[in-house]
Amino acid sequence: MFVRTDDKITSSQAVVFLTNTVLGAGILTMPRGITQAMKTPDSWLTILVGGMVVMLVILLMVKLGQQFPGKTVFQYSAIIAGRIPGGLLSLLLIGYFISVAGFEIRSLAEVTLFFLLEGTPMWAIVIPFIWAGAYLVSGGINSIARVYQIVFPITIFVLLLSFAVSFRLFDIDNLRPVLGSGLPPVMKGLKSSILVYAGCEVVLTLVAFMQYPQQAVKAMLGGIAIPFGLYLLTVVFVVGGLSIDSVMTSAWPTIDLIRSFEVTGFFVERLEFPLMVVWLMQMFCNFCSFFFQSSLGLSQVFKLPFPAVLLGMVPVIYLAAMVPKSLEDVFGLGDEIGKMSLVLFMLIPVMLSLVWLVRKKGRIAHG
Amino acid sequence: MSSILEYIPDWSVFGQALAALLIAIVVNRLYHKADAFVRRGKAIGKSGKSGKSGKSDKAGHSRSVLAASGPGAFPKFEPGAVPESEPEPFSGDYESDLQAILDSIGRNSDFRFRTFPMAKLNRQAALFWVDGMQNDRILNLQLMQFLMFEATIEAMEAPISPGDVLPFESLARCPERGGFKRCVLFGHAGLLIEGVPYGFLIQFPDAAGRAVAEPVSEALLRGPRLGFSEVLSENTSMLRRQGFGTSLEMINYKVGTRLTKDLVLAYFKDIVNPDLLRDVEDRVSKLDFDFFGESGYVEQLIEDNTLSPFQQAQNTERPDRVINALLEGRIAILLDGTPFALIVPATFSMLLQSPEDYYERWLPSSLLRLLRFLAAFMALMAPALYISLISFHPGLIPTELAISIIETRQGVPFPSLIEVLILEVSIEILREAGIRLPKPVGPAMGIVGGLIIGDAAVQAGIVSPFLVIVVAVTAISSFSIPTYSAGITLRILRFAGMLFAAILGMFGTILFFLLLCSHLTKLKSFGVPYVTPISPFRIQDWKDLFIRAPLSLMKRRPAMLKPRDNTRRP
Repeated sequence: MFVRTDDKITSSQAVVFLTNTVLGAGILTMPRGITQAMKTPDSWLTILVGGMVVMLVILLMVKLGQQFPGKTVFQYSAIIAGRIPGGLLSLLLIGYFISVAGFEIRSLAEVTLFFLLEGTPMWAIVIPFIWAGAYLVSGGINSIARVYQIVFPITIFVLLLSFAVSFRLFDIDNLRPVLGSGLPPVMKGLKSSILVYAGCEVVLTLVAFMQYPQQAVKAMLGGIAIPFGLYLLTVVFVVGGLSIDSVMTSAWPTIDLIRSFEVTGFFVERLEFPLMVVWLMQMFCNFCSFFFQSSLGLSQVFKLPFPAVLLGMVPVIYLAAMVPKSLEDVFGLGDEIGKMSLVLFMLIPVMLSLVWLVRKKGRIAHG
Repeated sequence: MSSILEYIPDWSVFGQALAALLIAIVVNRLYHKADAFVRRGKAIGKSGKSGKSGKSDKAGHSRSVLAASGPGAFPKFEPGAVPESEPEPFSGDYESDLQAILDSIGRNSDFRFRTFPMAKLNRQAALFWVDGMQNDRILNLQLMQFLMFEATIEAMEAPISPGDVLPFESLARCPERGGFKRCVLFGHAGLLIEGVPYGFLIQFPDAAGRAVAEPVSEALLRGPRLGFSEVLSENTSMLRRQGFGTSLEMINYKVGTRLTKDLVLAYFKDIVNPDLLRDVEDRVSKLDFDFFGESGYVEQLIEDNTLSPFQQAQNTERPDRVINALLEGRIAILLDGTPFALIVPATFSMLLQSPEDYYERWLPSSLLRLLRFLAAFMALMAPALYISLISFHPGLIPTELAISIIETRQGVPFPSLIEVLILEVSIEILREAGIRLPKPVGPAMGIVGGLIIGDAAVQAGIVSPFLVIVVAVTAISSFSIPTYSAGITLRILRFAGMLFAAILGMFGTILFFLLLCSHLTKLKSFGVPYVTPISPFRIQDWKDLFIRAPLSLMKRRPAMLKPRDNTRRP
């Protein structure tokens, strides 16, 4: 077959897709969110534990998805739970995706307004961004995955470079004492650390788009392992470089870390500029994932044509992005999204799997 | 409850949302309308549109393998693609046939004919030809002599092997008057003999052409100096001359409904992917236009996306480039009358590769190629970056540099977008003028335009000297792109990038880059994704992307073209 007509992605594209979906605003805000909840320098431990938990969740989601080859969660939830309960679950998930998309784009607008375009009206940043996203998403999952493949290496390169250069500020004492207050703070921070993995729900639909679904476990775990490693690196370098006191008081600790030193003799003296650039591109990818997922969900649940839904989503996402009134609201929304993702996790993969198991067992017993 | 209500945005936000939706819908509709509009007249379309294919069948595109006519076989002459009217067979009556021919084409001032008696046959005969298309000496001395004094009817009509008996390199029987007239006007010599119910075409046209020369648009320091010429048979012979082998196949098509021309598809039949070949053949056979002036006509009628700024077929004057592309599993389209061959499918990386990359050693080639990618990036982005950094984020560049740039901009009365536009537009005009000027005047204009105007503009305080550097580097960067038409694409997009940067600064520039990426990933050339092997990611093709790996490592053909035989060496 020379021309590819099926809208499937390869396993490496699936890895990049998941990575780019999870790696979002969190990379700038996550050290503060977790440290504020914990008040100890053990945030990296939390990320580790949280990552392990999320990997288990993903394993469950992949296994569930593999029972229904070629079907997304919006389709198989109706098969498992019945039309109406399944539809309601799907709508919940869609609502969640929309609010995450709104949250991501709002964080992007806040950062852009703060660092790059002071005094520009919010709509002038948000609306062109949504339009550009709509143009990309209209090409289907294949185009999206291909753009991710272009953006992803650039992001990784710049991010690692920034961290490598910031190593001069790194002070291991900032990360001590390990477990100074015992385990309770780690557990307290776990909720925030799950938030940074928000978006891993795309696994529920991604498996359906894979060309070789049998490789899904490996691909999805690989896809989460990359942001897992990057988050770990981020939190270690930011807390190690800035100490927990300044991390807790800063709105965007990662940018503050990169701003706090100069590389003399280089064309751009501060690496904040390239970091902002790749972060904006990364946010674009991140946002497009949620844009795609929510439009896909709506079109599959209500059996509407995808391009029409896509256009209809433009104002919805804009409104979702404009709901928070202030920066505090944005961070509050982030926490809410973390809680929502926990609820959704209990509702969708766990409950659906249980119902599916019961029905399957019942069928075997009766059949 | 009230706390939730509090979060419902203002009416103005709803208004903005509505505007966002409406504009998106309008743009979407416009795009689809425009796409459908330009697609209507094209050779490709959704398969199954019977009207289109029926029409092209009627146009009667004939297809023949160039090497098909074996020795000894009486080459059946194929009249051009379109019968202009009903076929009119020769009547067999010499006088009336002669009169009919003279009546219909005798008015042409370049048309010559001569009647003469054939001594051995004791019959009348007429020879027709067109001025300048036949070697007069051969015509006078050899043909006439043979026909008048030696030819017998047996020799002319020997059914099995006329080539043995007749001293002509080509002799074709033409049973139909319309085709006979067309061929005579195209340059064949035509012969009509009393009592024979068909015309003969002897001698191929031999029109004036230009000498084979070095390709003008793609100069190389090292590599063959041979360039294609305007004669199709010379071009195909140049491809054949690249080496011995039987797998290079060339298929002839007739294109054009009013003035018909030859078009040749060339490919290696044991390398090219059969599905790709079928797609190209399908599109070429559906070409429907009255005249194909240059291979650009073909390119524009078979490309996938007319609205894209990127070319989806590569044009080249170099036979070595064509043969290398064919060996990768691509297909070449050669049209009679132009030295530019088309290579399809084209991918983005091809536009920045030069044949020289393979002739030089791998290390310098790789570095030069990286340099070209950098140059392409600068040609595209440098002015946009200048605008966004100077107008929006001077804090992002090193402080001393920012201060010195801002000092030089002190007297400039315009915002940076206008400043850049002034200089960029004048550079574009200079370039366009430089192409049109005769060669001796060109350098003089370069000096006047580039040096004097640039310097005077700075002196007059219209632009800043730093900008002159930026624009000059941009212009020079775009010259370093090996494919001229790809350079034009980047020039167009540069202006789009400048607008984005002028509106939203760095954010706009990034948005522009992302839109460009989105567009490129959606674009396909004959089913091959345009930015492969970057994405879809094919690691084995990266050996020939940013770097050019040592030849000893390039054992496989590019996987992106899914060739039938993918090993270059075991």
